[in-house]
This record gives sequence, C-alpha cells and structure tokens, in this order.
Amino acid sequence: MASSDKTINTDVPEKDVFAIHFLQSLSNLTTQNPFNSPDTTNYRARKIKKAAYVSMAKAAGGSSRLWSRALLGRAAKENNKIVRFARRKRKVTWKISSKRRSDQRAPEATDRLRNLVPGGGTMETSKLMEETAHYIKCLSMQVKVMQCLVDGLSPK
Amino acid sequence: MKMNGGAIEADLLLNCTDMSVLERQRAHLKYLNPGFDSPLAGFFSGSSVIDGGVIDGFLGTDGLNLPMIYGENTVEGDPRLSISPETMTGTRNFKKRKFDTETKDCDGKKKMMMNRHEEEVEEEEKSKITEQNNGSTKSIKKMKNKAKKEENSCSNDSSKVTKELQKTDYIHVRARRGQATDSHSIAERVRREKISERMKFLQDLVPGCDKITGKAGMLDEIINYVQSLQRQIEFLSMKLAVVNPRPDFDIDDIFAKEVASTPMTVVPSPEMVNSGYSHEMVNSGYSNEMASSGYLHFNPMQQVDTTTSDPLSCFNNGQAPSMWDSHVQNLYGSL
Repeated sequence: MASSDKTINTDVPEKDVFAIHFLQSLSNLTTQNPFNSPDTTNYRARKIKKAAYVSMAKAAGGSSRLWSRALLGRAAKENNKIVRFARRKRKVTWKISSKRRSDQRAPEATDRLRNLVPGGGTMETSKLMEETAHYIKCLSMQVKVMQCLVDGLSPK
Repeated sequence: MKMNGGAIEADLLLNCTDMSVLERQRAHLKYLNPGFDSPLAGFFSGSSVIDGGVIDGFLGTDGLNLPMIYGENTVEGDPRLSISPETMTGTRNFKKRKFDTETKDCDGKKKMMMNRHEEEVEEEEKSKITEQNNGSTKSIKKMKNKAKKEENSCSNDSSKVTKELQKTDYIHVRARRGQATDSHSIAERVRREKISERMKFLQDLVPGCDKITGKAGMLDEIINYVQSLQRQIEFLSMKLAVVNPRPDFDIDDIFAKEVASTPMTVVPSPEMVNSGYSHEMVNSGYSNEMASSGYLHFNPMQQVDTTTSDPLSCFNNGQAPSMWDSHVQNLYGSL
C-alpha cells in the first residue's frame, strides 16, 4: 500500500500497523478506566477519538513527520506530560518571516490548511503540501481500520 | 570626460574608478561598438568580438561592475543602480540585456544572474533592479540552490560560451523566454514550481480532483477532504463508543503469552498459515514501542479459528472473546 514519489517520500505503513496501534490504545483506554464508570457515550467517544489520533501518529512514524510530532506533543501536553523529540536539523527558510508579516490577511486556503494539519503553522508551503499528503494517507488508513472495527463489533 | 571612439581611451576610462556609472557604460559601449550612437544598434555584433582576453584587459584589476543598460532608457536606470566599486577577484560579469546590477562579493564567491536571451531585449524594457547588494548573501544562497537545479556554471576561471556571446566568469541562469530575470523572481519561480509539483501529487491523492484546475480550487478540495476524513474519524469513534461494551480483554497479556510461546521468526513461513496467530518481528521500523511485543501477522489467507487455538484460551471468560474474534476476523477479512 505504500506509494512512493520520486522527489517526495510519502510512504505510509501497512494497515496492520495502524490496527495494532489502535487496538493497543483502545485496550489502554479500557484498562485505565474501571468498568463501573459512569461514562457517557460522548466522553468515551472523545477518548476514543484522542486515542485514534495518537495511535495514528505513532503508527505513521512517530517522530519522522512534522505533523505526527505536533500531534503527539499536543496530546502529551493535554495529559501534562512533557514529550520531547530529538531536534531535527531544520533548513533555514526565508519563508517563515514573511509568513508572520502577512498574518493580517484574510484567511486564505493555505492558512486554513495550516489550521487543519497539525503542526502546520510554521512550515513552508511546499513542506506543508508534503505533510498534507502524508497526513491524508494516514487519515484514510486510520478510517479504514476503524471502519473494520465498527463493522466487526456491530451486532449482525 | 570626452567620449572618443578610441578603444584605448575607452579602456583608460573604464579603468578609472571615479567615473560615473553611465560614463563607464558609454565607454564600454564605445569600446564594443565604435560607432556608438544608438545604444541598441549593432550591439550584439559588436560585443561578440569580445573574448576572454580582451575583457581581462580592459576591465583591469579593479573589477568593475558594469551594469549594462540596453535600450533607450538608459539614463533613468543609473541612479538606481548601485555600483560597488570594491575590487573583486575572479568573477566579472556583464549584463547584456537587462539592467540588473551585478553584485560583488569580496571573497569572490558570488554568483550572478545573467540572462542571455536575445528575445528578452525586445520584450522587456522594464527597469527591474535587483537589490542585490543589499541582499547579496541571501541571493547567494538562493542562487547556490538554484545552481544545482538550473545548470549554472560556476566558473571563476573559464569562460562560458553562451548562445551569442563569449564572455568570462559569470554564472548564468536560464531564465525562460518572456519571464522576469532577476534573482528574486527566479527564486520565486522555483518555489512556485515546487509548490505546484506537490499540488499535482495531492491531486492524485484526493479523489475527484481531476477536473479541478487552479490552485485555489484544488486547495479548497484538499481542505474539504481533510475535514471530511477528520469528521469520519470522529463519527467512527462515536460509533465505537456506542457499540463497544467495554470488553475485558487484555491485549498485552495476549502478546506476552504469544511471545513466550512462539519463537520469533523474521521470515514468514508457511507453517504459520495453520496456526491461529503467528508472531514475527515485522521489520518495519515504524514504531519502537512495539519492539518488545510481537506483531500480529495479518495474513489474509489465514483461516482464523480463534476459539480452538491455544493462545486465545485466556479469552474464554465472558463475552469478550466473541467480540475479539469478530474484531480479528474482520481485520483479517478486509486486509
């Protein structure tokens, strides 16, 4: 299922990697909370969603992608844990300073994309596109895994 | 200073450092084309005479930057030109068509953007001056990047033969016909091309984007797709929360058991088809935390008979196993 481009590498691991991570995180969820918990469906849904994102980020190559690092960092912050990744060498870009300057514009398409993709706030536009491509692939993979689970669990 | 037609005088004039820019240009033009009246006429033919030796000669050692201004509006161009009279070793540049200024870098590692398209002269009379002296280091870096992409020749020693002219010691970037030629716009163009290349890649990724052309529409589509995927995840997690009756299975337990019982094999072997679960160290390198536990090998050809195989005996307490079976069977079936 991995596809490769000559210049851009957007390989995504196979579906089972995503499945394993997701199932693991789900089991973590169930073991965390005792079973007599008065959880509402909403609460559980939110927890499951968070678990889905975190497991997706881990499955997609925890620190080798900007968006996954941003996601995991965000999740860790919510849990009040500090997660630090090894600092990767960043190319000096000239674009960043110009982006800050032009923040007063009406939010255009690239800005909206930045809001959607985790960690997209401080990327160059070309880098943003790469991350978006990888993010889309991982998202669709995660959706497939979850769909399978739901189909399996739902009463026949 | 009087402008004579003599080449030698022009030579002397050029070697003077206290000349104004315009005078230097005129002198150079005179040198190239003794009958200098109209700036454009016969220029190319005249300049083609120059070869490396000649240029070395009349440029002298002070390494003038001669911004060449072609076309009628030579006069206005001058005040905006910034000539840096520092000496330079090595690269000397001629701008034949546009009036770009030439940057100098004292340690000789500057590169110049030169554009050698004849056609551009007629088309572009715009006075685009690049602030190269100010942003010289920046443009150097950009140009260095571009040098790899655009077949620049960085020659401090040899002369590069262009289409029409024989000159020495400069870098040129092929600006395309009918396009702007200063370094910033070329850098911009490279960046834009990168972005459009990635957009094409995204276009293949997002379904239903073949008909849409244009960056804005594509971006909207991409945003919509990402949003829809995120909403799908949210919806599915809600569904999972509803459907999932909190089963009492412990995955880590299973993994630990299976790791202990079955040996780790790296190569998938046919025997695994018969057993319910098989473990192998998947050489994926995708996640480090899985290194300690085994990977489930999701082989779509496997007949999963989970209730009878040993590793799952720990499940046989409560309804959880059936849920787990159906999980697994589904995953097997759809992979």
